[in-house]
Amino acid sequence: MTRSSEAAPVRKPQSRQWRRFVRGGGVELVLLILGILFLWSVISQNIPNPSRYLPSPVSVVLSSYDVIWKGLLPNYIGQTLWRLVIGSVIGLLLGIPFGIALGLNRTVSDMFYPIMNFFQSISGIAILPIIVVWWGNSEKTVFVVILYTCFFPIAFNVLTGVRSTPMILVNALRTLGASRIRIVKDVLIPSAMPHIATGARLGIGYAWRAVIAGEMLAGRRGLGWMIFTAQDADLTAQVILGMVMIGVIWIMIDRFALRPIEADTIQRWGLVQR
Amino acid sequence: MPAKLVVDRLSHHYPDEYTGEDVHALDQVSLSVEDGEFSAVVGPSGCGKTTLLNILAGLLPHTEGSVQVDGKEVQGPGPDRGVVFQEHAILPWRTVARNIGHGLEIQGIPKSEREQKVQEFIDLVGLSGFEERYPHELSGGMKQRCALARTLCANPVVMLMDEPFAAVDAQTRITLQEELNRIAIATRKTILFITHNVDEAAFLGDRCFIFSRRPGKLKATVKIDVPREKRIWKDLLSEKAYTDPRDEILRLVREEVFDDEE
Ligand SMILES: Nc1ncnc2c1ncn2[C@@H]1O[C@H](COP(=O)(O)OP(=O)(O)OP(=O)(O)O)[C@@H](O)[C@H]1O
Ligand SMILES: [Mg+2]
Repeated sequence: MTRSSEAAPVRKPQSRQWRRFVRGGGVELVLLILGILFLWSVISQNIPNPSRYLPSPVSVVLSSYDVIWKGLLPNYIGQTLWRLVIGSVIGLLLGIPFGIALGLNRTVSDMFYPIMNFFQSISGIAILPIIVVWWGNSEKTVFVVILYTCFFPIAFNVLTGVRSTPMILVNALRTLGASRIRIVKDVLIPSAMPHIATGARLGIGYAWRAVIAGEMLAGRRGLGWMIFTAQDADLTAQVILGMVMIGVIWIMIDRFALRPIEADTIQRWGLVQR
Repeated sequence: MPAKLVVDRLSHHYPDEYTGEDVHALDQVSLSVEDGEFSAVVGPSGCGKTTLLNILAGLLPHTEGSVQVDGKEVQGPGPDRGVVFQEHAILPWRTVARNIGHGLEIQGIPKSEREQKVQEFIDLVGLSGFEERYPHELSGGMKQRCALARTLCANPVVMLMDEPFAAVDAQTRITLQEELNRIAIATRKTILFITHNVDEAAFLGDRCFIFSRRPGKLKATVKIDVPREKRIWKDLLSEKAYTDPRDEILRLVREEVFDDEE
């Protein structure tokens, strides 16, 4: 009697986690990934010269063992992430206030709206050549591209968010005697939060692509640089390893840094339905 | 003692940018509401009731005529005039308690004092136990109660209410009307209450202003002489002091509506 009631609490959390994993489609996801890896192996075994055209998953892992052992991969990832973090933090710090400031005045925001829309559509990769012309193949070029890439989607989305704040909420605060600053703080910013979150997610997502591209063209370090040099040296397994890392790291950034912000604010307030 | 709220020969035109013609919304409206009086405004749809309220609130600038609250000409919104809007305008990102205390927060009242006041009004509108909930977790009637408490808590000189119970079901509306009456007794506020519901106007109002079709003119004023304490639906339905003015208001409003259909 006592034994079974003692044993139960130990097992329970584990089984609950397992159940949540199953209900969230975890099993299907694992099967899908295994399926893709299997298909990939089959293709790679049935083409000529796979080590040049499509190395099997196993050889990609083996090549990663090699770079990890030399300490290169963590080093490259660290450099790329560092650039991303610095670039997007500055992008957020500049883009959010800029978007809010533009949104405050209807005339100003009407004027800037198409301009912001214009720039947010030109991807970082498209402006890279002109930046290289201006600043050469330097560290600065990489940063400028990251900054450009995340600034405009962030500022544009924040502007859209401020503009779409329901007038009735602003009026309600005005009748409570609120000052302009308070209306910005208590109404416009929280109301724009879903857009700010979208802007941040898009902006950082674009910046993640831009930093890889930037490193290929103008960097001397980082994941992009690794892929580029690996291709030069005919190390296709390392090229694929770099690609996989790009995807895996992004999923982790999204899962552990960006989505929790959304869950803590927007979902808690009932602004989006899940 | 001078009236709390005085509207004198107020007219309003909305410019129409497309046709170039003005929409004449209010025409030479004069009325006044005494201190502590509960006034109701009824009139056909589009006659300018919301326009009047927005002008009183200071959200819409007026150019013809004058509007005074406590002897001062209205120029822009201010905490002396609390507004309850037709769609509850509470902030989704604030809990019930933080919404209700928002006015006091703006006025710079210290937290401890604020919390005490907020609790008082949460109890008054019957939202106890929901202090830490967010608006999306409330029913329509509860949201409207929250909006009402927010306005009351800021302690305005006059309360302006624009069809606040129009969006809730009939059952909830009856409860809210009786609650508002109770609150009116407890706070003795000066209230201007807009509605298109004749029963509601007669149930709540000490006086009822009836507006004509657009351009809205003050067509008639009807007094309802029922003590506040006696205003409970089940007792009132057969009370002549209630039914007579209600029928009178209904007759006056119907004249406007039937004219409209011709
Ligand atoms: N911002 C505006 N611009 C132009 N015309 C307007 C504007 N707001 C209201 N009007 C017009 O002014 C008239 C009065 O509108 P108002 O909203 O005051 O009516 P109401 O009495 O509140 O009607 P309801 O009972 O349907 O709410 C209407 O004909 C409306 O079309
Ligand atoms: Mg209206």
